[in-house]
Amino acid sequence: MSQATRRPNRSDTSSDGDPEAAGETVLAVDDLQKTYGDGDDAVHAVDGVTFAVDRGEVVGVLGPNGAGKTTTIKSILGLVVPTAGTVEIAGVNAQDDPRAVYQHVGAMLEGARNTYWRLTVAENLRFFAALGGRDPDAARDRHERLLQQFNLDDKADEPVNELSRGQKQKVSLAATLARGTDVVFLDEPTLGLDVEASVELRRELRRLADEEDITIVLSSHDMDVVESVCDRVVILSEGSVIADDPVEDLVGVFETHAYRVTVEGQVPSGVRTQLTDGYHTENWDVLEDRTRFDVTLADGDTLHGVLDVLQAADRQLLDVDGLEPDLEDVFLDVTDTAPGSDADEGGDAE
Amino acid sequence: MSAPTQSAGFDTGPRGYLRYFLAAFRKRLLLLLRYPVNTISQFGTILLVFFVVFYGGRAVAPTAISDSIEGIIVGYLLWSMSITAYSGLSWGVTREAQWGTLEQLFMSPFGFGPVMVVKMVVNVLESFLWGALTLLVMMTVTGHWLAVDPLTVVPLGALALAPAVGIGFFFGGLAIRFKRIENAFQLMQFFFIGLIAAPVAQYPLMKWLPLAQGSQLLQTAMKDGVALWNLPAGEVAVLVATAVGYLALGYAAFHYCQRWARREGVMGHY
Repeated sequence: MSQATRRPNRSDTSSDGDPEAAGETVLAVDDLQKTYGDGDDAVHAVDGVTFAVDRGEVVGVLGPNGAGKTTTIKSILGLVVPTAGTVEIAGVNAQDDPRAVYQHVGAMLEGARNTYWRLTVAENLRFFAALGGRDPDAARDRHERLLQQFNLDDKADEPVNELSRGQKQKVSLAATLARGTDVVFLDEPTLGLDVEASVELRRELRRLADEEDITIVLSSHDMDVVESVCDRVVILSEGSVIADDPVEDLVGVFETHAYRVTVEGQVPSGVRTQLTDGYHTENWDVLEDRTRFDVTLADGDTLHGVLDVLQAADRQLLDVDGLEPDLEDVFLDVTDTAPGSDADEGGDAE
Repeated sequence: MSAPTQSAGFDTGPRGYLRYFLAAFRKRLLLLLRYPVNTISQFGTILLVFFVVFYGGRAVAPTAISDSIEGIIVGYLLWSMSITAYSGLSWGVTREAQWGTLEQLFMSPFGFGPVMVVKMVVNVLESFLWGALTLLVMMTVTGHWLAVDPLTVVPLGALALAPAVGIGFFFGGLAIRFKRIENAFQLMQFFFIGLIAAPVAQYPLMKWLPLAQGSQLLQTAMKDGVALWNLPAGEVAVLVATAVGYLALGYAAFHYCQRWARREGVMGHY
């Protein structure tokens, strides 16, 4: 795994400040704060979180345990009363008029337990449609479409407690959408799902955003899910946003800074010490006729410096490969280098 | 920032609220019918306790039971209905928190309070269903037939139940804030017995306690066959005042507790 050391700068890659590129904003979180306790015992679970989400965008909220993800999402949803800051959804201030906001918002929280398991799938959709102010009879066609899309049409009349975990998860999502919401918050949507069910759910989430313009904000520890579904990620650490970038940009920032270098023969110990002292190198692999190692360059360093050292030692360069980081590498690096970061000391009350 | 786009498809006015009430009522009915063993055992438990009181009492003190059987029937009727209405809220909130559906109820565009009011009304209707069946069985078993004028018994019963509903809201709020308080729920059942049996005639101030005045007036209406409009206006006024007062206090406490829970970040945690 590469160990990139550069923290992404929001101004490097974010679309902020580019009104042409910006779409229709449906969620705007501004300086959101949540503090538990006071005085010396105060815990800043969310500390000035600011971000915006456009219509039809899928945004992942990431962070180590205790980073403030769940508190942030619950504060946006009004399930936690924020200490300060504002949340606007579809142009409505969530604190001033939460009922108007709930016309647009649905949430799937805490895995699959968001529906009534003793009711059938169809009964759940009807109930949650009515709870959301919709006429269940008028929404019947939409519900049938939802069930078809989620491959649940043959399960419509089965009680939810008789379904598999993956199906229950899909019922939860369908029940959320049955209310006709256009902004959906998902907390660990693939938690506990097998690979097949997870892939199916990811595909469905992407389709909802692409085809139905539904805005999705999801938190997940599964980087594959985030990387495959999200357009953008907001990374939290210690209750603050430390990165807010499109996935490809975030990964792109790192991908040119980690390399696997292969040279002919063995590297003399003095040269190796020089490289180890001057650069972040790891995974040294000494073979019979060649030596291979990974180097991750910090800001301002160039690969030329490494190559100069090798050239001075008269080592013939055989190969240099850029190491492709995945989002997990980026996430680990970003959260590791965040000011004051220490997942074990997270002050979140999640 | 975009303007709301889907409001047109929603109806959160009276018609939408009625639709939600019907959906909640239908949900409760479906569950009662879908799980008949559970439903029958729920009703069976209510009857069993009465049989223990009636047959047990008759075996131990036949005269005392015979003299007071009508009072026992009315008192037991109110107690069983109170328990159904009260526990539907307090236990209901606890179960919803466990299921993860409490947050879904909270995020309704009708507002959490109105959604819980619907839950309360459904519970009260259910308590009337069980109450009617229990009353029928009790009168059949004991052979004592009381005056059951719906125009009198239904409004009096509803007003008598209101303080129990208020207490249900209060404990529902505590459950949201403090979670595991099931033992306190159970304890309240015994307090209800004391409140229903409170000697209001001897100590008139007791009529201001929850359930006490409702119990007293239901006894008068059902034992003596006095119609609602023939009851002393002052006594009915006390009943209305206690009904509205305790219900409002309970609802206010519930509202306060849910906000407290949200401030502490424990809404829905269990």
